[in-house]
Amino acid sequence: MEELKAIDEGMTTQYIVIRLGQEQFGIDIQYIDNIVRMQHITRVPKLAPYLKGVINLRGEVIPIMSICLKMGLAPDEEGKSTRIIIVKLEQYGTIGMMVDEVKEVVTLNMASQVEKMAYDKDDKNNFVLGVGKYEGGLISLLDLNAVVQEK
Amino acid sequence: MDVSQYLEIFLDETTEHLQNLNTQILELEQDPENMDTINEIFRAAHSLKGMAGTMGYKRMQNLTHDMENVFSEVRNGNIKVKANMIDILFQCLDALEEYTGNIRETSDEGTNDNEPLIKQLNDILNNKEGGAGAAGEAQEAFAEEKSAGEAPAGGSSGASKWQDIKLDSTDRMVIGEAQKQGKNVYGLTVKVQETCLLKAARAFLVFKAVEELGEIIVSSPSAQDIEDEHFDLDFSLLVITEASLEKVEDAIKNVSEIDTVTGDSVDLEKIGAAEKEAAGQEAETPAAPVEETPAKVSKPAKPAAAAPAADSKPAGKTAAAKPVVNRTVRVDIEKLDVLMNLVSELIIAKNSLVAAASANDMQKGTSVQSGVNEHIEYLESVTTNLHESVMKVRMVPIESVVNKFPRMIRDLSKKLNKKMELYMSGEETELDRTVVDEIGDPLMHLLRNSADHGLESAEVRAQRGKPAVGSIWLDAYQDGNNVVIEVRDDGNGIDTEAVKNKAIERGTITPEQAANMSEKEIIDLLFLPSFSTAKQVTDVSGRGVGLDVVKSKIEALSGEVEVHSTLGEGSTWTIRLPLTLAIIQALMVVVGGEKYAISLGSIQTIEDISPAEVKLVQNKEVIHLRGNVIPIIRLDKELDVVSSKNPEDNMVVIIAKKGDRTAGFVVDELLGQQEIVIKSMGKYIDNKCKLISGATILGDGEVALILDANVLI
Repeated sequence: MEELKAIDEGMTTQYIVIRLGQEQFGIDIQYIDNIVRMQHITRVPKLAPYLKGVINLRGEVIPIMSICLKMGLAPDEEGKSTRIIIVKLEQYGTIGMMVDEVKEVVTLNMASQVEKMAYDKDDKNNFVLGVGKYEGGLISLLDLNAVVQEK
Repeated sequence: MDVSQYLEIFLDETTEHLQNLNTQILELEQDPENMDTINEIFRAAHSLKGMAGTMGYKRMQNLTHDMENVFSEVRNGNIKVKANMIDILFQCLDALEEYTGNIRETSDEGTNDNEPLIKQLNDILNNKEGGAGAAGEAQEAFAEEKSAGEAPAGGSSGASKWQDIKLDSTDRMVIGEAQKQGKNVYGLTVKVQETCLLKAARAFLVFKAVEELGEIIVSSPSAQDIEDEHFDLDFSLLVITEASLEKVEDAIKNVSEIDTVTGDSVDLEKIGAAEKEAAGQEAETPAAPVEETPAKVSKPAKPAAAAPAADSKPAGKTAAAKPVVNRTVRVDIEKLDVLMNLVSELIIAKNSLVAAASANDMQKGTSVQSGVNEHIEYLESVTTNLHESVMKVRMVPIESVVNKFPRMIRDLSKKLNKKMELYMSGEETELDRTVVDEIGDPLMHLLRNSADHGLESAEVRAQRGKPAVGSIWLDAYQDGNNVVIEVRDDGNGIDTEAVKNKAIERGTITPEQAANMSEKEIIDLLFLPSFSTAKQVTDVSGRGVGLDVVKSKIEALSGEVEVHSTLGEGSTWTIRLPLTLAIIQALMVVVGGEKYAISLGSIQTIEDISPAEVKLVQNKEVIHLRGNVIPIIRLDKELDVVSSKNPEDNMVVIIAKKGDRTAGFVVDELLGQQEIVIKSMGKYIDNKCKLISGATILGDGEVALILDANVLI
């Protein structure tokens, strides 16, 4: 909801631009704790497919999820550019999210550069708050709580 | 005055005293003539009164004051202990507990004056010859006699300690200046009573009283030390004031629990100087009960003068009649958590070293290595010991929880009109502080359950030829890595038929299901939410909340609860709790290429079994082992992985036990025993997989999951 308010008030927000498959997404920088390279993930049995397992992040055990699988996109292709974005959410604690590539940080003016997304029943869009326009093209701004939330 | 910083200490100590009173009054009921018990009660009541007064809780103070009066009379032999008196005293304790509860929540004692209780107490006093007035006097006489007895011990050398205050040049200048301006400069030594519990609070009041009249230049010990209670029984001040010495002394004496005040005007030449002439000053100090001995006056140097003072302190302390409750240092649990986390880190670091060394071993020759290994082994023993000691710091005896139960059983006995006796053993058994804090409620439920549902009425007991007084046992003991607490009674036991009928009636199970259920399964029904077999809902139990709460509380502590019951003979409830929650000894295994840890606590043996020995019973795989039929569980299937082993090879089977149930887990490979640190898997996925109770970080940095064997058995 905070994001929506920000959109109304025409403030600027910084987003980290990530790539999932061919599409670009933006994650609000305020939730991001850390970005680490891909490492060995220990599988945890009996979990939903999008929960990949856990990693050791400097002595803490952190759960890892795949945004792609959660949003119903094609599964991640692990490669050299794959990263884990560590986000901190009040309700769910620390979570690592696998992304195909981390590109850059952009600053978007909420009034002029972001278009709010009309509510769409299409599942995929439920994860997106709006679309940002910047020189490189369009980025879908992710609603992290919706991404993390179990359906 | 701001007393909030003492609130916590006050609450802790009040709880301790109330518990002490409960125990002692129970003892008094059994043995009304026991002078030791009466003295103990008197002291606890007196301390409570003093503390409540200091903190400004008037109602609490009034009530304890009257209780103290009654005990005082009992002590003097003027009143005999009677049953109704004990009842009233217990009611008083309940009222005090209510006050404490209010204070804990709102830092206010509430508005209940408990007048009926105070009246009853006064009635007790008035019913004996001599009347209530004498009681107060007697008690005051006692207090005086006590302080008089104590004074010589500390007073002889401590009365004029202010002369030993060290002054630096600025202080001297300030004093000199003040004297030039015609102001009075006094040195004061204040001695608090030995029974005083909140010395720092008293000192604070003294400081405040003095500051109203003048300015405190120096104190010994320093103001900070006094605030932190780093002083024995006395402290000294140098004060600049326009008021007279008498006025200052009176102001200080108005603070309660102050024993003596010794003071005189300061002569800059004398104070801190080598030679001291104290004799003249003594004449002006009427408050000091004992004149300073010449021996001290002639002491030539300061260090020497300080020495006898120090000597006399321990003597004074041992003479003080403070009850010996447990001698503890209160440590913030968060500090211990930090310590614990550090130990955890250390263990992980050690595991990494071990892993690195063994990896090196394989690559290189071993001549250089043996030295390293020796050091690693040493590190290992140090960390293990350190871990154990930190654990022990967190351990507290369950005594603090269970010693409220005798009182509870006594009350239940009266309320239910059944005669019963509680026998406790193993109160000294220690458990982690967090567990002890949580275990009280479940135990209380079980005891109430035994008292209400378990024990039969007197008539039924007589018919069955049982002793008229029912027995309930509460036994605690350590069993390997677990602590076991048993609640046992010689009552009726669980009527499985009644449970079954009730369950059918409630629609929990169908009659067909019921016919196929084992006794144990039926008893397990009792742990379902809102299931009570009591025919009548009583005040004590029968509302159907209880056993399910007991179960969930204990399981939240990673423990388990079991029932054994024989109809007509009684039932036993067994609670099994892990000793520690953070670091455990575990067996590392490999299943389908993944590493898992299984707590050693649940493992019985490890067996090498040929696949031919596996039989099918009711379509389930079992093995026959030393006369027992044990179901086997293939972990690769449970964990959705593919075993890397040839199915025709011998299987590694880990035999694990949960209560009286046993199962064998088939794994691919054993890696060995290791001390592991339990880590949460993060809020997001914790508890999503029931099979996994947590994760741990291995020496090579890899994460291994901890299998909860109890879920599978």
